[in-house]
Amino acid sequence: MNRLILKYGYPITVVILAIFAWVIYRKVSHGWNDVVVLAVAAVIVYLLALPAFLYFWPRLTVNGYKRAILKQGLGGGPIPINTLYAVPETAAPSGAGGSLMATGAEDLLYVGGWLELAKGPQVLHVPDMSGRYYSVQFTDPARSSNFAYVGKRTTGTRAGDYVLNGPGWKGTVPDGTTQIASPTDSVLVVGRVFVESDGDLHEAYELAKQIHLEPLGR
Amino acid sequence: MGNILVWVTGSGVVQGVIIGATMAFLTAILIMNAVGRRITATVNGWSAIRACGQPGNGILVRAACAKALPVVNVFEEAAYWTTTKDGSGRTLSGRHAYVLHFPPGQLPPNDGFWSLTPTDVVGYMVTSSTGRQSVGDRSQLAKNTDGSIDIHLQPKAPGPQSGNEDNWLSTPTGNFKLMLRAYLPGAAILNGAYSLPPVVRTQ
Repeated sequence: MNRLILKYGYPITVVILAIFAWVIYRKVSHGWNDVVVLAVAAVIVYLLALPAFLYFWPRLTVNGYKRAILKQGLGGGPIPINTLYAVPETAAPSGAGGSLMATGAEDLLYVGGWLELAKGPQVLHVPDMSGRYYSVQFTDPARSSNFAYVGKRTTGTRAGDYVLNGPGWKGTVPDGTTQIASPTDSVLVVGRVFVESDGDLHEAYELAKQIHLEPLGR
Repeated sequence: MGNILVWVTGSGVVQGVIIGATMAFLTAILIMNAVGRRITATVNGWSAIRACGQPGNGILVRAACAKALPVVNVFEEAAYWTTTKDGSGRTLSGRHAYVLHFPPGQLPPNDGFWSLTPTDVVGYMVTSSTGRQSVGDRSQLAKNTDGSIDIHLQPKAPGPQSGNEDNWLSTPTGNFKLMLRAYLPGAAILNGAYSLPPVVRTQ
């Protein structure tokens, strides 16, 4: 669907504008009174809707990912809240879920999930990646901004436990863990694990599967 | 009450609301596209956006990024460049052959990996006749005598004088887009000193 909109955006827009022109033309031919009502309604809605579209666009976009993760999943069925799913294959022209998570990335395995932290923090565990490139991106759905990363660039490739807490949580994290305070209770998680070659896929997938979440205190 | 309903349906209020909302949607798209162009830096035909994904972006930049590159990595995690044009501004097409010429030592600096992938114009991967979807740091790229590296971008295999098979990336037959990604981009990319060479049409 997205693909069709991207491809045929201009012709679709032209058709819609032509329909509007026809509607207005019909109104004008009936008399100017109705056109004034139409115009006033259109301007009011326009002035309210334009800033709303811009403000909510990031949230609408991220919610598309949320729906995909929680309803369809990334090839392995719906992914429950507060769990991570590792896609076993790299993106390919025919790959399932590839169109959602990645375009043109045949050297990464993707991990995806959706966090809800209102009921308490979640602990992200990452295995020892022994120098392998990986990252786990945490995205604030309201702003579509990546407020934290765990991975080679930010935390190194050793095994570790990271406590993610929502804005309302007051507490202290256990020894040996690192706290990541999320600005929102809902968080999109996107993980990426580097795949050196086809022969490396198995090992990369075993590592990607070990990136997982647990509630704090279990 | 019934009179109001009749008036609402007949008066043009409903059409006005639909037209107003649709025009607001289209304007929002135009604004996001315009802001997207403003925050895009294009060098040698290659476009990159550095601002996306960063906390602290304003409403317009957030919206433009969500439209152009939804949930993309921050630039210091992964630098992405795309182009649909060659270095002279002509649309990339499988009817032509192109060379991407990296001067000696000028492959994209990184601490992760890099790769170059052709996609369709929307950005989806396409089936390659060679089974290789990309070239990058793991490819066995043959060097020219001066140490520079040529990557051939064309649908059919170039002649044997053009280096290794790995130096050839098969492109779709129609118009296409190129995407080059450098994960953990090096300092020269982050400080702007490094730029990708232009895609040069050779035939």
